[in-house]
Amino acid sequence: MKDIGRLALVLTLVTAVSALLLALVELVTRDAIAHQRELVTLNALQSVLPPADNEPNKDTVALPVKDSKGNDVETVFYRGRKDGKISGIAFETVAPDGYSGNIKIMVGIDAEGKVTGISILQHAETPGLGAKAADASWTDQFKGKGLGDAKWSVKKDGGDFDQITAATITPRAIVGAIRRGLEFFKANQAAIVGG
Amino acid sequence: MNLNLAKMNLGKMNLPKVNFAKEFKRGIWDENAVLKLGLGLCPSLATSSSVENAVGMGLAATFVLVCSNVVISCLRKVIPSKVRIPAFIVIIASFVTIVDLVMQAYLPALHKSLGIFIPLIVVNCIILGRAEAYASKNPAYESMIDGVVMGIGFMAALVAIATVREVLGNGTFFNLPLFGAGYVPMLIMIMAPGAFLAIAFLLAGMNQVSKK
Repeated sequence: MKDIGRLALVLTLVTAVSALLLALVELVTRDAIAHQRELVTLNALQSVLPPADNEPNKDTVALPVKDSKGNDVETVFYRGRKDGKISGIAFETVAPDGYSGNIKIMVGIDAEGKVTGISILQHAETPGLGAKAADASWTDQFKGKGLGDAKWSVKKDGGDFDQITAATITPRAIVGAIRRGLEFFKANQAAIVGG
Repeated sequence: MNLNLAKMNLGKMNLPKVNFAKEFKRGIWDENAVLKLGLGLCPSLATSSSVENAVGMGLAATFVLVCSNVVISCLRKVIPSKVRIPAFIVIIASFVTIVDLVMQAYLPALHKSLGIFIPLIVVNCIILGRAEAYASKNPAYESMIDGVVMGIGFMAALVAIATVREVLGNGTFFNLPLFGAGYVPMLIMIMAPGAFLAIAFLLAGMNQVSKK
């Protein structure tokens, strides 16, 4: 055990040099990473919102929304404006009941609460089956639909939305998540639009 | 003239002679990490669903392997053997974190699809295996070559598995459609069982060829 000092010294040096190196790399990449994250949000916002002349990612209001377990989760509502008037609202909603893990969806709606577009931000559904729900050919069916315009479930459950062959769980989860999002918006419209 | 020049260059750089052809054959075939040694099977199963992911994972692992091999080889006389494993892991983890950060900053799409498997390069047994079996006993230059050939071998195995899986399971190669619209993909090949099947057939093929 007489060499314990040397062991400790070498390990300390190795970790200290590593830490220094990592700090440097983090410093160099920090701005680029933040920029990429912003781009991802911005791209999703642009794809779901009607044309806006403001920066929706900077015009936001955050409200607590109950998740599937009844906990309050802060949800950000992005507001797109045209000539100062609200042209659309976008928000993230989570489907906890997908086939494999949570599905994160960005939903865009216009001032009347009709969907202007949805974009699947994150999912881990089966490639070739449930993952097809992220394709535009499937997500486009929500455009122009509000709570009152359609029965918000998949056709198999008596609703108005197409399921995907051999993958019913994913579309069912997504339709449900969008419906909950629209209901929340309807109930809290004043706070979201006005605030 | 040419011969003289070659001699001069060799003399100047003073590098030990390495038989590159033999080294590459060792990394890709004789000691192929995945298909011969059975190392790193977990990332091979998980990131071989498309050729694009396989190349990305292969390059990331090769970079980490070369860097960690060189550093560990340089420090092999400084690091006492009692603490070598924690020291190796710290060095490997640092390079993996660098790859992770750089990828997040400049290749976000690839980072998104490789997801959790980048941080898991830390525990990829190929990397620690080469550090322990080779870099901790050999000089830096040889260790670098070892890192390059073993890394390329890993990537070659990944790409081979991914080619089988992507072509059969999705009807594409490197995201380019190969067959007409009438092709019905064998979905099982891009799911987890397909990875086992593809590896099994490649292994069987390699064993058959190697059998004298």
